[in-house]
Amino acid sequence: MVSPHSTVGGKFSEQTSLTARLMLYGLLAVVLMAMDHRGQYVPRMRHLAGYLVEPVYHVVDWPVGALRDVFGFFRSGTTLRRENERLRHQLLSQQGKLQRLQALTGENQRLRALLDGVAGQPFEFHYAELIEVDLDPFSHKVIINQGSADGVVAGQAAIDGAGVMGQVEDVHLHYSSVRLISDPSHALPVQLNRTGLRTVAFGMGDTHYLNLPTVPREADVREGDLLVTSGLGDRFPSGYPVAVVASINRQEGQTFAEVRARPLAALDRGREVLLITPVVVMGPPAELAVEPPAEISDDAAEATESGVAEPAAAQPAILAPASTATDDSAAGDAAPAELNAPAEGNTAAAENTPAEEIAPSDEIAPAEGSAAAADTAPAEDNAPAASTEPAASDDSGDGA
Amino acid sequence: MKTQGERWTPLLVTLVVAIGLTLMPLPQLLEPFRPYWVALVMIFWCLEAQDLVNLGNAFAIGLLLDVLTGSLLGMHALGLVILIYLVKRFRARLRFFPPWQQALSVLALLLNDRIIVLWIVSLKGDTLPSPTFWLAPFISTLLWPWIFLLLDRYRGRARHRGGS
Repeated sequence: MVSPHSTVGGKFSEQTSLTARLMLYGLLAVVLMAMDHRGQYVPRMRHLAGYLVEPVYHVVDWPVGALRDVFGFFRSGTTLRRENERLRHQLLSQQGKLQRLQALTGENQRLRALLDGVAGQPFEFHYAELIEVDLDPFSHKVIINQGSADGVVAGQAAIDGAGVMGQVEDVHLHYSSVRLISDPSHALPVQLNRTGLRTVAFGMGDTHYLNLPTVPREADVREGDLLVTSGLGDRFPSGYPVAVVASINRQEGQTFAEVRARPLAALDRGREVLLITPVVVMGPPAELAVEPPAEISDDAAEATESGVAEPAAAQPAILAPASTATDDSAAGDAAPAELNAPAEGNTAAAENTPAEEIAPSDEIAPAEGSAAAADTAPAEDNAPAASTEPAASDDSGDGA
Repeated sequence: MKTQGERWTPLLVTLVVAIGLTLMPLPQLLEPFRPYWVALVMIFWCLEAQDLVNLGNAFAIGLLLDVLTGSLLGMHALGLVILIYLVKRFRARLRFFPPWQQALSVLALLLNDRIIVLWIVSLKGDTLPSPTFWLAPFISTLLWPWIFLLLDRYRGRARHRGGS
């Protein structure tokens, strides 16, 4: 840019304008940094800019990949045979372990079923490779060669062969950035494998250490203890190894011990990454989904006649008021969409006031012309056995 | 006389190479020794062809570098703007320094840049970098006379080819 002050004697003003521009750009940079640090607007801009710089990564990565291919080509047959042998042994031993694991998984599922617990969530793994670019050493990010085109979503957990690496942060078309667990802004809910003690592992800006600041001083922690993900926080599935406790410093008079852990994953030198995808099963549980509605309403009628309210029986539309009266907590969840408004009104009434006051509220309701209220209103006059709904409301009246 | 586009070509070519070298993976051990290529190229062009480099495009290149390397947006930009400001301010003197003295000034400029980075990193609340953090400016200084000669030769050839 040619300075406008190029006349004789313009030296001073040129200097001033230079300083002014320094101030301007400096201020702009500081504002950008502050906004980026606080996560306002700037990450979005950065995400858009990421699409523009995408080719650069692939261009930089290309010669490295080509070089590796060339070296791979010239590797001798003996080396390859030896490696093949070693991998075969490894595979065999891993398969041996896996057989046992399958039996254990089956047993685990049965035990969970016995305890009526939540079934363990199945996971899928996606293989990805690191794009070989060196980023800012302070950023604690790596770039992987899979993007939204390959089904990567932000927040996915990334692991390598040894342990947890980080989570997917910014997804672009053919690459994504993964924030490592060593980033100072990263916190990972973990659990001591030996004792089950839950805590949180924070990054320290150093790929060799994680910080565990919330371990009580008297807690049973030893050097060499394995830390696994606890599954809290819903980002990382539970049970994946994270780090090994490296040092514990118990200071007198402190509430917490100073614990450092060494990450197991090769954060600074890994090349292969596995992305974990939870297999999501959509819709209601299978046993509810397959049953035809009529059957359930029959069941429900029996249930209400016998004075037992089942949460599952509250599913069909016509039973919503009945269940409101008998089991308000279930109705709040299970009331169908078209009846939501009246059902909620009833639920609120049932929750807030004694049961005697439900009847007046039901009488007022028909004025609004809602289906649910219209069904319950005749119940005040007609015979109780006329339909399932009156039976239910009478039940509630009697019960109260 | 060359067109405006032709004058920009050498600057752009050297910058692209510098950015490539910045992103190029190095073995873990050599990583701290990586020179600040982009800054060296910018200093050269600021000394040799002042009108090509100004604070505005230093800022823009800094932002590009921030996006590429995933650092805090504005960190490289601030560093480069201050660097180019200083070079422009003392350009008359820097140009006629003997090579070793020029290299020392480059060292001062790059150390200043590292101090800015350190300031930003500590404001951000990261842990302070290891002592190897300070090695890169010295490597850049050692390389500076050669980079200067190389770029000067490239510039001479580009100019020659342009048919001035």
